[in-house]
Amino acid sequence: MKPRKKHFIWMIVVCLSLSIVLAGCGTKGSSDGNSSKSSEPVKITIFQSKVEISKQLEQLAKIYTKQTGVQVDVWGTTGDSYAQQLQTKLASNQGPTIMSISPGTLPGSEADKLKSYLYDMSDQSYVKDIAPNMALKINGKVVGVPYDVEGFGLVYNKSLIDPKDVTDYDSFVNTLKQMKAKGINGLGLSQEAYFLIGHIINTPFAMQSNPQQFIQQLNEGKVTMSGNKTFQDFAKFMVAIRQYTSNPLKVTYDKEIGDFANGKDAMIHQGNWAYPMFSSYKLKFQMGMMPFPLDGNNKLAVGVSNNWAINKNASPAQIKAANDFLNWMFTSKTGQDYIVNKFKFIPAMTNIKASKLDPLSQQVLDASRSGQTIPWAFNDFPSNMVVNNLVQVAQQFFLTPSMTGQQFLKALDQAWQSGSGQ
Amino acid sequence: MRNRKHIGVNLLFTVPLLFIFTTVVIIPFISGIYYSFFKWDGIPADPKVFVGLGNFAKTVSDTRFLTSAWHTVEFTIMAVILVNLFGLIFALIVTTKFPTVKATRTMLFMPNLIGGLILGYIWKFIFTDGFQILSDMTGLHHVFFDWLLKPQFGLYAMVIVFAWQMAGYTMIIYLAGIQALPNEILEASKVDGANSWQRLTKIICPLLMPSFTICLFLTLANAFNIYDINLSLTNGGPVNGTELFSMNIYNEIFGNSNYGYGQAKAVIFFIIVAVITLTQVSITKKREVEM
Repeated sequence: MKPRKKHFIWMIVVCLSLSIVLAGCGTKGSSDGNSSKSSEPVKITIFQSKVEISKQLEQLAKIYTKQTGVQVDVWGTTGDSYAQQLQTKLASNQGPTIMSISPGTLPGSEADKLKSYLYDMSDQSYVKDIAPNMALKINGKVVGVPYDVEGFGLVYNKSLIDPKDVTDYDSFVNTLKQMKAKGINGLGLSQEAYFLIGHIINTPFAMQSNPQQFIQQLNEGKVTMSGNKTFQDFAKFMVAIRQYTSNPLKVTYDKEIGDFANGKDAMIHQGNWAYPMFSSYKLKFQMGMMPFPLDGNNKLAVGVSNNWAINKNASPAQIKAANDFLNWMFTSKTGQDYIVNKFKFIPAMTNIKASKLDPLSQQVLDASRSGQTIPWAFNDFPSNMVVNNLVQVAQQFFLTPSMTGQQFLKALDQAWQSGSGQ
Repeated sequence: MRNRKHIGVNLLFTVPLLFIFTTVVIIPFISGIYYSFFKWDGIPADPKVFVGLGNFAKTVSDTRFLTSAWHTVEFTIMAVILVNLFGLIFALIVTTKFPTVKATRTMLFMPNLIGGLILGYIWKFIFTDGFQILSDMTGLHHVFFDWLLKPQFGLYAMVIVFAWQMAGYTMIIYLAGIQALPNEILEASKVDGANSWQRLTKIICPLLMPSFTICLFLTLANAFNIYDINLSLTNGGPVNGTELFSMNIYNEIFGNSNYGYGQAKAVIFFIIVAVITLTQVSITKKREVEM
């Protein structure tokens, strides 16, 4: 028995030392597979979070490879867990060359967290085509090019609702009551984090005189939602929604779209990204988008959902290839065609013309051209705040009819504190 | 020293495994303990601030963590009892002289071959849409409501799914134990006039102790570590009412990006699971009887 035990211990020691030596060697290697050997052709990788465009992006990459010979790999998207996946890949030196980053640059937001990886694009030629105030900037440097412009608000059924009847709290509640009397659900939300609370709570944030400053003070614990008049009014809206509409926790995004398309919901809180979802329904009515009428708000929330960014830690040859690819996508005929017609984007670049927009996107574009918009304040929330902290409070609110608006705001304050690491 | 000859062969079989085990388990484990003393957000470029035992101290006042710990204990107690009870009952059923025993055995083991994630999604459909239909048909609104909308019932739902998955597995282990029982003892007890209940409690169970040791250990460790069913069935909701240990740690590290703090929780988690399972094994080992 004894000698065998000795062998065993000896083997473990050998293994440990062997693996430590190997692990040590691994980190000293090149940052990703292909160190700049000039003989090898450059290969770039794209990893991005928008599920709706992944197939089209792959096709675009194939076309680019055919034209230039540069290999472009598009990794599969992971949807909700994208931010976590990206961080893990970057941290282990296996990051993509081109990635997508959410806008929002306050301390704690995604772009701020990953700023050590973001390549400074300021000198690139395509940057000058970005629509005013739309570029993602950190410390005055452009680190992200916007995907597109998106907007959300109350998407309504024109045969049931006249926007003139929904302009403030009283008229909003009246409309919900009338619909309920008709056996129609006045406003549909759904159980997903952003569709339950993330987008709708944007309105009170965006209506602060300085949303970014407000969020920063909230992070520092200097202000509270429960002590803010706009939020108190917002809570009244939420109480009314809970009282007069069906429980959103039982509704998925798909069901919300289906109910609206079949005339069971008079309004849904959604954005222009949802329009392609209606393609599988025979619509018997026209739809439009109107502002969420908090405190008489008459502006749609319009913003940038996502940005193209380049990984600073890629090899110089890769960075150059990535810039070439982005430049080709924004300026060539093929690239622009894909952005407008295949991705179905409302372009955020001045050199790309929008065409054949669906009714919701058209309204968003009109709003952004006229400047009648409120910002997407939630882009500046600390990363994962909505998914990790706020949604639980919203669930509790919809499950507990006795919870008052003020209690709801207090719970949101508490959740915010634990989420912003105070 | 016969095994001197086999050293080469022994090494051939053990070294690759040991190497893999050290690289994917032991080294991350040790580095995890190291990181638990730092305040860090998981980004290599950002500073790691040494906080000593600060992370561990923080867990004591972290209510979300403590409730998730309590829920995990609740879940584990219910799950261990249910899984082993059903595993044993199934094993006893399929060792009888019933005609369709083989098919039954296969059917009972089936759920274990489906991944926890998929099982979770299937049952999510049952608990929400299926129960809706059932309550419309039967009118029993107090039984068939959407279980996943009430925290407490969400936990029960997870226990049911977990038991559904694991009972078949423990059944196989109990089955092996029952089939290894010496027949003459059972025969002798029959002759002495013991009824079947007495046979079960006085003879079969004590002799099955080794199987109990294995099964309890497996279900305890599995129930404590549960993540996949938790993710697909309830995703921790509603209101974090079903957020168990693993999920809480995951959300802390990847959601709130407190890498060091999450690692500290993971170390605490490891210690708790190790203590509980080791205690259980030593207790049940003592109760094993020699033939």
